[in-house]
Amino acid sequence: MRTDVVETIYRAALKDPNIFLITGDLEHSSAKNFKQNLPDQHINIGMAEQNMIGVAAGLALSGKKVFTISIITFATMRCFEQIRNDICYQNLDVTVIGDGGGFYYSKSGATHNPIEDIAIMRTLPNMKIIAPADSQQARLLTEKIIQSRGPFYLRLGGKVVPAIEELRADGQPEIEMGKGQVIHIGSDVTIFSFGPIIREALTAAEILASCGIRAEIINLHALKPIDRELIEDRFNRRQAIFTLEEHSVIGGLGSAVAEIICPLFHCHRRHSIFKSFGIKDKFTKTVGSRQYLWQINGLTGQQIANQIIASCTCI
Amino acid sequence: MVDNGDLRLMAKLIRRLILEMTYRGKEGHIGTDYSCVDILTALYFCDILRVDPQNPTWQERDRFVMSKGHGAASLYATLAVKGFFPEELLNAFCQEGSSLSAHVTFDCLPGVESSAGSGGHGLPMAVGMALAAKHDNRNSKIYVLVGDGECQEGSIWEALLFAGHHQLDNLTLIIDHNNLQTAEKVSEVVGLEPLRGKMESFGWQAQNINGHDIDQIRNALLPGEPQSKHGPSTPRVIIAKTIKGRGVSFMENNPIWHGRCPNEEEYRQAWEELS
Repeated sequence: MRTDVVETIYRAALKDPNIFLITGDLEHSSAKNFKQNLPDQHINIGMAEQNMIGVAAGLALSGKKVFTISIITFATMRCFEQIRNDICYQNLDVTVIGDGGGFYYSKSGATHNPIEDIAIMRTLPNMKIIAPADSQQARLLTEKIIQSRGPFYLRLGGKVVPAIEELRADGQPEIEMGKGQVIHIGSDVTIFSFGPIIREALTAAEILASCGIRAEIINLHALKPIDRELIEDRFNRRQAIFTLEEHSVIGGLGSAVAEIICPLFHCHRRHSIFKSFGIKDKFTKTVGSRQYLWQINGLTGQQIANQIIASCTCI
Repeated sequence: MVDNGDLRLMAKLIRRLILEMTYRGKEGHIGTDYSCVDILTALYFCDILRVDPQNPTWQERDRFVMSKGHGAASLYATLAVKGFFPEELLNAFCQEGSSLSAHVTFDCLPGVESSAGSGGHGLPMAVGMALAAKHDNRNSKIYVLVGDGECQEGSIWEALLFAGHHQLDNLTLIIDHNNLQTAEKVSEVVGLEPLRGKMESFGWQAQNINGHDIDQIRNALLPGEPQSKHGPSTPRVIIAKTIKGRGVSFMENNPIWHGRCPNEEEYRQAWEELS
């Protein structure tokens, strides 16, 4: 996914000398083209994330379109105040790309496993948050970001098999930034999700179908601004709403959806079920495969299907 | 070229404007403002900064980044005297509903290049501006003013290392070295000395000056000979020895004037000294 994003930026940068890529000591192969062919538009800032964001702001204040990239914990947390004051407060055209969402670096430990990034980025005025679910989406959404104006936070984190774009059932010809995508049709309950863990939602949908529960799966690649209209619509039409995310249960997708639907419980006098599935408020100190870490956090398709079935029997 | 007598009068005028702003707004950092007024006077009125008050976003202009954001009143007053906007706009400083806060805010007034308020943000942004100027083959020079207390921030040293490594010779850092941070001496909190030696070891050309001597400031700020004649190009740093609260006797070198606002009696006394 990182390669897809950087190559998309590279192709745009070939045509636009005002596009810059700043890497934080991640001289991965995806930045090779930049380094070799566009050395004046590429900076390896070294291990200095505060400076990375400050330099990006200075470039953007001079009319440049800047992308910064590093591992999420370094890219967003080490330099949070710089992102807040230098980028968002000044409303600059900078995209902070964070690689390794959730448990992507599943054997690297908690220092490399961001579970709070969306919560903290979501609090920043002017910041827009995009989290593609697979490589194709990453390319398409990066193109949209290039055509737009920042600030953006682009959260990357591995692939989904099969590709989301091939599953889409919303009838739209192409991805529309900010709009949710129906990738599995169902009319009883809706599960909102984003990123690679959405494949577990698809697994859950199959299990639920065998139990007579028709689950709709919606990919929300935009966490901010989020597709409020779609969420409100599904709240009004479904017996239950669920969210699934590879992020803390505090402040991420579940919180964003709750912020929209909680006032509706009162207005519509509804007694719908809402439950968010995410990483509990604790550091995961064991390592293993990504699937294993999902499992110990109760986030596999089977585990969430079980919880959804239990919830629905209460209706 | 404005002569030194006129420059001293201009610095006094800026100090009076700051006094008015701080007194009326009941907020500000008058001690830190007065520490850097003479530096700002030299920058804006000695043909150092190439800026056009009638065209504040002129692409070829030099940039001045005020990193010590709590010195907002000194920057705003200087920009007003330079003619970027009418002096009357300063009356809004820290008033109810105004966008002129006690810390520098981008876009609130013409001529303000970036926001500041938390220490250690301005130098990295200035580095980005210096890179952009080089990328565009613009002759823009970038000047950035930091406080000495601010030099305790790690981001300052990240940017110093980077600018030295990349030989950003279009970048000039001025350190307002009054040796007073919020309530104590910098040298007693976390000292910086030998500051010049540290800067040189980071690949910067460094010099010490008296930050209240207009001639010394001007001479230090004037673009020198192309450094390539003497070796590799480097960014340069001017360590300006200053006095916090400079210009008003009872404020000078007194840490309580970091964030205190004058009462009526203090206002009158300060006004007399600055008249």
